[in-house]
Amino acid sequence: MTTVPISSTDKETSFLARLWSPRNRYYFIAFLFIFPALINFSIFRYLPIFAAARSSLWQYSLLGGYRDFIGLQHYENMMIDPYFWKSMKVTALFVLMKVPIQVVLSLVFAILLQKETKTSAVVRSAIFTPVVTSVVVVSIIWAMMYHSQLGLINSMLSAFGIPRQIFLSDPDRALPAMTAMMVWKDLGFSMIIIMAGLKGIPTVYREAAIVDGAKPWQIMRHITLPLLKRVLMFVVVTQTIFSFQNFVPVYVMTKGGPMDATKVIVYYIYQFGFLFQDMGYASAMSIVTLLILLVVSMIQMRLFRTDVEY
Amino acid sequence: MKQFRLIVSGLIMASLLLGACQPEVVEVIKEVPVEKIVEVEKIVEVDSNAQSLDADPDKNPVTLKFLALSDDDQLNAWREQLAEFQKIDGGKWSYVDLEFETIPFRELFPKIEASVAAGLPWDLYQADGPDMKHYGFNRVIFDMNDLFTAEEKAQWFPQSVEEGSFRGRLLGPPILQSCSLMMYNKDMTDAAGINPPAALADSWTMDEAMDAWVKTTLDNDGDGVPDQWGVRWGQGTWTGDYEAGIFRRSNGVKGSDTWKGMGDDGVTFRGFVDSDESVEAHQFYQDMHQKQKVTPVEAIPEIFESRISAFMITPDNRIGALNRIHGEGNFNWGVTGIPYFKTQVCHTGSWHYGISPNTENLAEAVAFVKYASSDDGARIFYKYVRQLPANIGLFNELPEYAEGGSQRLWLDAMNDFGIPRIGTPGYTEYQQMMSEALQNIQAGGDIPEILGATAGRIEGLVAKYTGWNN
Repeated sequence: MTTVPISSTDKETSFLARLWSPRNRYYFIAFLFIFPALINFSIFRYLPIFAAARSSLWQYSLLGGYRDFIGLQHYENMMIDPYFWKSMKVTALFVLMKVPIQVVLSLVFAILLQKETKTSAVVRSAIFTPVVTSVVVVSIIWAMMYHSQLGLINSMLSAFGIPRQIFLSDPDRALPAMTAMMVWKDLGFSMIIIMAGLKGIPTVYREAAIVDGAKPWQIMRHITLPLLKRVLMFVVVTQTIFSFQNFVPVYVMTKGGPMDATKVIVYYIYQFGFLFQDMGYASAMSIVTLLILLVVSMIQMRLFRTDVEY
Repeated sequence: MKQFRLIVSGLIMASLLLGACQPEVVEVIKEVPVEKIVEVEKIVEVDSNAQSLDADPDKNPVTLKFLALSDDDQLNAWREQLAEFQKIDGGKWSYVDLEFETIPFRELFPKIEASVAAGLPWDLYQADGPDMKHYGFNRVIFDMNDLFTAEEKAQWFPQSVEEGSFRGRLLGPPILQSCSLMMYNKDMTDAAGINPPAALADSWTMDEAMDAWVKTTLDNDGDGVPDQWGVRWGQGTWTGDYEAGIFRRSNGVKGSDTWKGMGDDGVTFRGFVDSDESVEAHQFYQDMHQKQKVTPVEAIPEIFESRISAFMITPDNRIGALNRIHGEGNFNWGVTGIPYFKTQVCHTGSWHYGISPNTENLAEAVAFVKYASSDDGARIFYKYVRQLPANIGLFNELPEYAEGGSQRLWLDAMNDFGIPRIGTPGYTEYQQMMSEALQNIQAGGDIPEILGATAGRIEGLVAKYTGWNN
């Protein structure tokens, strides 16, 4: 057997062939598909996050620009800022009230309305309409509805002989009132996602359970819910993130009051960034909020992890 | 998961490293060189010999972008001013046009700041008097001090010049002035047998006013909710310092800490905002909402204009609104002095023309502002807005401000006891905090605790301006 020496040209050809292998071609094409999204994320998501992280280490305001480098001073101040913690508490309360109520209601409506009938189509549309309505408009209308003197809700209460109630100016009722509005606003979004998830579950499992004599509640508990886990995870994680970012209703309806009862963290950040000329501190709070959201999302994803495939 | 943690840690470390690097200093302030100001001064000098057609034959059209409040009356006034401006000096400025972006009052301040910081090429903006010192401190406004002679500055109320100045330099001339008094619905006061005093010297104290408000608060159908309220303290539906701040300052004798409202250094608020007199005044304010219930806890839009409230604390701009809504003279109104505790006080409130440092049309912007703030411009503005002009000279030609005129009381109040709101670059921080405090007091909160906490918070927020007036 004789050995044929490999020329440098052959080596290059072989390297190029390996580089352009079917596997690498597959990755290259896949990369091309995600490239525009990567550009979008880099410019509009990651760069601002890096910029905020940098700003949080400086004395920085929109008008005054960067002044002194202060390291972690803003973060230290945040630890002893009672209003920051109160805002975090209000935000957490809002999320804890809104997300579970919304998910449970969405699930109930999705199950009730999944059958294709004319009535269910109308009701589905009615529930989904608020999703595509401007949150500013919705907030203004609900603020009018909640008004203690002029509001529709109080007119209805009066018609039943119930005394007029103060909603948005009462520290104990303002946040629940806003939560109710936001559940109404976002219900359609999560309902549609869950409905799509329900339709994706093969009917064979349900039919087999019925043959085995399972009751509806048992089917729900042992078949539907486990197979919906991934969809529910998506709904819970996205709704938690959206709820953490709640701003417009607070800005329009209460300005964070009364007694700071609705001052959610994003509104507090807005005040410092745009009204109090302290974008550095606002950036630091934004970074902490981002990290909290990352941790919460990771916990939620772990809780909803499932090995069930279908 | 391990990879994810590594990536997140890496990103955080990278941001910290990047953050430690010297960032590029944001150059938001355009320093206008002295030569440019001199050049502008020459350009805007009145050239009465110029001819309309051949003055500037090669000038390209210039559109001045104007950030202003959403107010149709004002916009119509500026449109007419523009039409006249294009004719002056033989048509020298006929190539200049205005383009407005209008926004609600509460969005104006952050919008101006964000626009200037982003370097947007705004030419003009409408600036609230108390914010002028903030704009001056941050140099987000073109300094117009040298473009007006002492004689020209004397054409306006001294309060207007003070509000539009920073460190003794006039940043922007006034658009108009204001001073709040108590207007009332004559039909309602007559029905209640009340005859409010006509002279400022006889104005009601707060307690006397409360009697009138209680008498005019009526629950005709007995459902526990008044069909007619006694009073609305302030314009709009929020608790701004312009009217609500009067409560506190009125309960101090002239020159006292409570009356001054703030320390001389412009950053001290403890002992001023939360003094015993301030607590007492705010107790009265809370009682109006919670105890006597002469005013609704949740403000009702246009409550006075809709004939749901008997009294309203407001400047004379309400007259224009009443005429627009009900027709000229169809609303039977009267005006009396503003109620007080120890000292009669009305906050003066002038709006000002501001020229953005980002303007690319400085000569045109300056020329327009000079015209708009002149007696000729102010006359047009008054025609539409019907509010106390800042130009003193106009009072000689407006019969409503003459002795015995229907709006004379506002002018007298302005001259007798009108004082500017507190002057500090931290006015926005102060006003925001005070507004929240008043909202909480209305809702029934503990007054000493709220005011004490508010004073402390304001001091924390405005500490960055320490030494601003040295």
